[in-house]
Amino acid sequence: MMRVTSLSKFFGQKKAVDDISFTAKEGEIIGFLGPNGAGKTTTMRLILGYLKPTAGQVKIDNLEPIEERVEVSKLIGYLPENNPLYQEMKVKEYLEFIASVKKEDDFQKIIKQVDLDDALNQKIEELSRGYKQRVGLAAALMGNPKILILDEPTSGLDPLEQEKIRGMIKKLANPKDKQGKKLIIFSTHILSEVEDVATRLIIIHKGRIVYDGGKPKERGGVEKIFKSKIKN
Amino acid sequence: MKTLFKKELNYYLNNPIGYIIVILFAIFANFLFIKDIFVLGTASMRGFFGILPWLFLVFIPAICMRILAEEKRVNTIEILLTLPITETQIVLAKFFALLTLAALGLGLTLGLPISLSFLTRIYLPEVLIGYLGALFLAASFIAICLFFSNQTKNQVVAFLISIIVLFIFLVLSTDYFSTVLPKFIQDFLIYFSPIFHLQNFVKGLIDWRSVFYFVSLTLLFLFLTIVDLEKRK
Repeated sequence: MMRVTSLSKFFGQKKAVDDISFTAKEGEIIGFLGPNGAGKTTTMRLILGYLKPTAGQVKIDNLEPIEERVEVSKLIGYLPENNPLYQEMKVKEYLEFIASVKKEDDFQKIIKQVDLDDALNQKIEELSRGYKQRVGLAAALMGNPKILILDEPTSGLDPLEQEKIRGMIKKLANPKDKQGKKLIIFSTHILSEVEDVATRLIIIHKGRIVYDGGKPKERGGVEKIFKSKIKN
Repeated sequence: MKTLFKKELNYYLNNPIGYIIVILFAIFANFLFIKDIFVLGTASMRGFFGILPWLFLVFIPAICMRILAEEKRVNTIEILLTLPITETQIVLAKFFALLTLAALGLGLTLGLPISLSFLTRIYLPEVLIGYLGALFLAASFIAICLFFSNQTKNQVVAFLISIIVLFIFLVLSTDYFSTVLPKFIQDFLIYFSPIFHLQNFVKGLIDWRSVFYFVSLTLLFLFLTIVDLEKRK
């Protein structure tokens, strides 16, 4: 479904992503971990075709994101870092705009899924951070994408909101309808979140993948791996 | 593209800033024309079309400055560029939304030819062709400003650069240059001045060279904006 091969991205002399490779398939929930500036967001943007790689290749269902960005973006739902939104729009207007662009028919189902019914007529700028995040998540879900890329989806949220978003992610990856399985890639700084939600763990450090494997079973296992890999 | 066009246009229609800019344009256009009509003692729309490029010099950059600069500042450009729409659709939707807004501004000056028609006999095709020329001029200015709005994250910088560039375009055919430049250079530069080409429309002539000039200028800057947006840095 997704194949990343020897992907590198340089910004001038600075290596943001350095020769990373991995494959991923539907049903997986990949937790992207790494310290600030490790290259998580850049990797996600390269997968989306928002940035052009310096070297290497991304293939999504055999499509190349830079050459076939429009086709690839039909397959991916994306929640960017810091969740940029059109603040002056009402929630309903914004989601209708996204639904129209992504040709989503079951608009109401997604509203219910992320529990946004009571905020539809509010302006986005008036919403709490948690609600804004739900708006971003609803936008990402429009068009029934096969892949969800969520860049720090719980960043800045209170524990209750974090719990709700985590619950949604788990449900989205493995819905009752097995055909609707998605691949979810999410980045976070919260190690317990990966432990709770992810099925696979990728740790990036200084632009390189330093760990790619299953989530450890024991409690605190993610933290142990993270500390050992980042120290080295 | 229609969805994005509606979204862009709604920003101005749901926002006091859009109305303020368009109404200010209409007030200045009406006032500057009426002020001179009694001084000159001639009832013709030519004076109006003469001041129009100078009004557009401020009006067009004012409506265009945020169009891409703000998307870049608040990073909503990342939303747009990860949706299934092409860069061409994004630029064209924004361009047509701005052109609609400029047309609304021009629409608010239609009272002038209507009032004039009560005072004197006006030749309707000449006025209509004049307005067509004004739309061509607005389209080319919008394309230029759209390009400069894409060069920065700062709306004010986009506004100022657009004004400077448009000002240079406008003064190419004025006396400011003719006194300091050799005649053959002046003749060459005049051909690239939008005022020179607008004059053909104001006379009531659809000169295809002028149509070609405005269409080429518009397409050139739209193309440059699309290419710039397609660059993945």
